[in-house]
Amino acid sequence: MKFLSYLILVLLLVPVQMTLLPHLSVGNIKPDLGLVAAAFVGLFAGEMDGLLVGFAIGWVLSLFSAGELWLSLLTHGGVGFLAGFVVRQVSHVTSIFVGVLLLAVSLASGLLAAVTLTTLDRAQVWQMVGAIVLPQACFDGLVGAGLYWLLSQRVQMARLRTE
Amino acid sequence: MTCFALLLAALFLFPIQSQGLLQYLGGPVWSVARIPLEVIASIDGGIANRWQQYVVLQGVWEENQQLRKEIEGLRGQNTQLRELATATERLTALLELKERERPTMVAARVMGRDTTNRYQVIILNKGESDGVKPNMGVITPTGVIGRIVKTTGASSVVLLVTDPNNAIAGLIQRTRDEGIVEGAQQGRLQLKYLPLLSTLRVGDRVVTSGLVGDFPRGLGIGTITYIDKQEGALFQSAELIPEVDIGRVEEVLVILASHGQSGQVAGGVDLPGKP
Repeated sequence: MKFLSYLILVLLLVPVQMTLLPHLSVGNIKPDLGLVAAAFVGLFAGEMDGLLVGFAIGWVLSLFSAGELWLSLLTHGGVGFLAGFVVRQVSHVTSIFVGVLLLAVSLASGLLAAVTLTTLDRAQVWQMVGAIVLPQACFDGLVGAGLYWLLSQRVQMARLRTE
Repeated sequence: MTCFALLLAALFLFPIQSQGLLQYLGGPVWSVARIPLEVIASIDGGIANRWQQYVVLQGVWEENQQLRKEIEGLRGQNTQLRELATATERLTALLELKERERPTMVAARVMGRDTTNRYQVIILNKGESDGVKPNMGVITPTGVIGRIVKTTGASSVVLLVTDPNNAIAGLIQRTRDEGIVEGAQQGRLQLKYLPLLSTLRVGDRVVTSGLVGDFPRGLGIGTITYIDKQEGALFQSAELIPEVDIGRVEEVLVILASHGQSGQVAGGVDLPGKP
């Protein structure tokens, strides 16, 4: 059952990220729902599930992107694992905590991607950081925090985490 | 944790092999993932079409009148150009130049855009099974769109001409000066490495030079909007507005086999992907 729900999540993420999110983009920047989904799986199902689902999300999304596969795996798998690991270390997870976690991971991933793009000169890298990486990190953080807040209004988070 | 470390180690130590394996395994996954993607993309496209046809009609009549006038003018120009083309054809035959072959192309539909914001990419519904391979050029009847960077059995990823990681050999149509067209920010293009003595002007059209890569000569790339000529610089550059409105592209043509001329001009070496 768990596997099936993860499979559906991964398969649905692709069309949502590719076709629907561009309509909701702000200044041509759309959030990375894959990152948010991997973090949520880590938060609610533990670091192992977060890691594996993050890998799957990263792999499938990289099939539809010009980006590097290793970076997609590292980012999505990493955020799933990190979310699961961190949630065990803190007594109370808030939406701000989730937002900051996603912001940090998205920022790190974006900076790594910008630095590894050898075709860009320094000015273009800084331009990319200012115009894409930073706004996307903020967007990812906001979407993550917002979704967590919405979920926390509807569901008892502690119960969800133990299931 | 161990599998995470192992996978990352494999990716770093054997990047080509491990990525190739994952890419190979991605073929069947793609086939499954494309089902919901195609369904949602067609619904999305249908809604967008209805919106364009029935809701956003403000100013259409005025635009229609303006376009009709423009068509009249263009018809006149077209007649003159036909005359010139006939004359050119005659002269070309006289000079015993080989007639340029028409490139073999395959039509493809745009299924979506890049899953990240870092690349300007479109996803096509044609892949290796249709003969599409990396580095092939992608165009519309209006002009250049980009080049294929990744393929699976039934899909391909196109890096758009507006992406800063893309570069195409370009030629100013009026002055015949050559340069390299690269993507810039905000959907613009930049024409680099132009000779300082070039007499380019704002409004000049830039087309593919056909010398390098898989694009035939003469495809529209963009129009010059700004010229950057700095004192002491070795070259001048120009900013272009793309010929094609890339945000609205729905169908494209992939150049499977370009003309033989460009490969010969580029030092007589058969370029990859040439027939």
